[in-house]
Amino acid sequence: MNKKNIRNFSIIAHIDHGKSTLADRILELTDTVSKREMQDQILDSLDLERERGITIKLNVVQLSYKAKDGQEYIFHLIDTPGHVDFSYEVSRSLAACDGAILVVDASQGIEAQTLANTYLALDNDLEILPVINKIDLPSADIERTKKEIEDVIGLDCSYAPCISAKTGLNVEDVLEGIVKYLPAPKGDDENPLKALVFDSYYDSYRGVVVFVCIKEGKVKVGDHIRFMQSESEYEVTEVGVKTPNEVKRGSLSAGEVGYLCASIKSIKDIHIGDTITLKNNPCDEALPGYRKMNPMVYCGMYPTDNNKYNDLRDALEKLQLNDSSLTFEAESSKALGFGFRLGFLGLLHMEVVQERLEREYNLNLIATAPSVIYKVTLTDGTVKYIDNPSMMPDSNLIEFIEEPYVLASIMVPNEYIGPIMQLSQDKRGIYKDMVYIDDNRNQLMYEMPLSEIIFEYFDRLKSVSRGYASLDYELVGYRKSNLVKMDILINGEIIDALSIIVHRDFAYQRGQAITVKLKEILPKQQFEIPIQAAIGNKVLARTNIKSLRKDVLAKCYGGDISRKKKLLEKQREGKKRMKAVGSVEIPQEAFMAVLALDDDKN
Amino acid sequence: MTRIKHLYLHVPFCSSICYYCDFCHRIFDEKLSERWLDRLEEEIRENCHGQYETIYIGGGTPTVLSYVQLESLLGLIAPYAKECIEYTIEVNPESLDEEKIRLFVQYGISRISMGVQSSDDAILRSIGRRHSFSDVKEKIRLLKKNGLENISVDLMYSLPGQDLDILEKSIDDVVKLEVPHISLYSLTIEENSVFGKKGISNLDEEIEEDMYELIGRKLKEKGYIHYEVSNYCLEGYHSRHNMGYWDYEDFLGVSLSASGKIGNNRYTNTRSFEKYLGGKDIRDENLYLENDEMEFEHIMMSLRTIYGLDIEAFNRKYHCDLLKKYHKGVSNPDIAVKEGRLICTNLEILNRILLDFMI
Repeated sequence: MNKKNIRNFSIIAHIDHGKSTLADRILELTDTVSKREMQDQILDSLDLERERGITIKLNVVQLSYKAKDGQEYIFHLIDTPGHVDFSYEVSRSLAACDGAILVVDASQGIEAQTLANTYLALDNDLEILPVINKIDLPSADIERTKKEIEDVIGLDCSYAPCISAKTGLNVEDVLEGIVKYLPAPKGDDENPLKALVFDSYYDSYRGVVVFVCIKEGKVKVGDHIRFMQSESEYEVTEVGVKTPNEVKRGSLSAGEVGYLCASIKSIKDIHIGDTITLKNNPCDEALPGYRKMNPMVYCGMYPTDNNKYNDLRDALEKLQLNDSSLTFEAESSKALGFGFRLGFLGLLHMEVVQERLEREYNLNLIATAPSVIYKVTLTDGTVKYIDNPSMMPDSNLIEFIEEPYVLASIMVPNEYIGPIMQLSQDKRGIYKDMVYIDDNRNQLMYEMPLSEIIFEYFDRLKSVSRGYASLDYELVGYRKSNLVKMDILINGEIIDALSIIVHRDFAYQRGQAITVKLKEILPKQQFEIPIQAAIGNKVLARTNIKSLRKDVLAKCYGGDISRKKKLLEKQREGKKRMKAVGSVEIPQEAFMAVLALDDDKN
Repeated sequence: MTRIKHLYLHVPFCSSICYYCDFCHRIFDEKLSERWLDRLEEEIRENCHGQYETIYIGGGTPTVLSYVQLESLLGLIAPYAKECIEYTIEVNPESLDEEKIRLFVQYGISRISMGVQSSDDAILRSIGRRHSFSDVKEKIRLLKKNGLENISVDLMYSLPGQDLDILEKSIDDVVKLEVPHISLYSLTIEENSVFGKKGISNLDEEIEEDMYELIGRKLKEKGYIHYEVSNYCLEGYHSRHNMGYWDYEDFLGVSLSASGKIGNNRYTNTRSFEKYLGGKDIRDENLYLENDEMEFEHIMMSLRTIYGLDIEAFNRKYHCDLLKKYHKGVSNPDIAVKEGRLICTNLEILNRILLDFMI
């Protein structure tokens, strides 16, 4: 195949703008997937992705397209996540591409993550083809959307296909646009091999399956290859492409995207972003690889059953192999026993990791409330980074505390500007700027503590704007704040895993909200349980959970035994999701209750 | 194999359907009930052997059967009832008459369980009952007149529209009937009952708890012993048949939807008339219970009564050491060991306590 007839591209979009639907249509139009095999979101192979309608992991597929110029083209479509948390996956995908399709919903216009993902693509020197989607919706405004893209991003929209991925309308224009406007890969088969590793998974028969984008040269079965970063060497046993099923091929050459196997025993031996070359004919320098993403949000994760600690560690190691943005280290809690402190790119990332651990590795977990990383300067001048509120030093040892601030960019229709400004101020936001997008919309810029974004800012943003506002943010540095550690006492005992760092001005309010919430969540015990929120020795709020008085089944005779036992077993399953702390059982939700919404919610 | 001491027989017919009930029952139909009786005769012949210490005819509403049908039913059982020490039949006030009562006496029935539910006629109507409280008084008088004094009445609480005062009045009224046994059941909204389908919800937990405490206090004052979660009796009048269930003894169940337990096997008969009348494969459930399961079920049942569980006998039966094996449960603050018996001292929260016995 002539390299001129190859296109490697990603589809980028704000969440829900129709990325996965467009990918489905492209697969259908190119007869890549038979009608029988077709299902919605076909590239989203994780259950979680289909259920939530989001893409978490990148996926790659090769397809062939006969263009109107009469020539046959090979496309490598690399599907990417849309959420800001997963920009790491996006950047991995983009590094393997030469171009990108930017999908924008004609009824919504550009959104915060449209911009964020576009900038990522531009950073990777990709050619971008804008596509206006959802033109079948009554509220679609094609001209306005085009103008927004031209004005805000600076892309020419005169040739942008206007489509409905849902109905299939004009999707062919996208395929033609890919041929016409996106560049072919540049590499040369004759150069020494230079291949980018962008994903991998373990297969028990073939060993590690490594996904590669061949930038230069050629690789075939029997070649001795070398991973430049890990300095390991293997003999290639299989190469192939995904269509989306894996199909074996004799070789892969420059411009192609596919996979190779080389009897690699452990997925730990593979570094995503590494460069593969030939042992006997190496290239001079490795590809730049990937920008390391630093976690922004931390939480503790503990198995409800202490014996599952090693299982949790194994599961985390496996997940981390394909998600290097996930960090973890062992920690222990007086209340929860042995577990890990995990670092994430954001809240969605955290939720996804927890759900995957529970589903794919069958673990019952307690996750503590998320925290940011605080910079604490002690009176003796030393600086400590605290990612676990319970580790905060005594207040009399602290000179001052700094917390991470972000620059939040909020795209919002005019009528919601007022409420969003109010909300942002309530969340300690500092107004920076307002940028005009079009007659109806503006982009608000606020600097605010990252911890406030974690504490319900995003949910509130969606509710005050009826879902019309979109948010993106980036870290801008550390700022001094008047912060204190608040402890939660259950039955008189400090539950270290429930401690949080709060702004002193909001401490009372939050203490009230948390104790009330905990009262709802904690199951009644055989005795009364006081719940308190305290700063040091000072109790700010207190509630009591009355003791359990009656739970027994009224009737239980010969015929009721099986039924009654099933009921108890169900109750026991519920108990498994709880952690026994002293003589009190604490369910998973309790640890999230410290994120309890403030009273002003309604 | 040891002898099975207890026999349960289910009469799957009612004259009308009460709103809280999801038991196996049909509106009484003469033709269907004849076919059922024929089939029951076969089942009894196949499964009943020797003599039973206790027999319980429940339902449904056994008294909805005609005099003639009742006579043939009791006739079917008679060969197995010669040494019976407690022979109970469930009755409803509206379908009980003196003729039927005399029949009971003739066939050796020694105990009557009457569905009363409330002494408040408005409440009775609101739960789909067809009798009034004056019917109850009249039928109890007739029973006593014919020498049937071992009577148990069922009452319900936590009913929609019922408050503490109405409940207290019901208890007072029932105590005046001078019966030696009272069962008090809180309403459980069953999915397949009329209430369940209508989406009726339970009374507030707190009120239900208050009602339970009121019942316990009032009946204790009147000399009743609270001997099981929902059962109260005068000294010596506990139900022998039901004690068999709570002591986790073997029992045979016949007719539709009846369960039985024999050694490591527990079965439940089909609830479908079609299947039952067909006669083949009438078991809906036929379980082999592992020893561990039996141990837990034994504990689960035995802790329901104030007599608790005989630890020695338990250890002999299952070749285990209960106090060691179930130490987590045993150490629950509401579990006591007294004179060789394991006893639950807070019956109201037995579910919670039982979780500690699940290993």
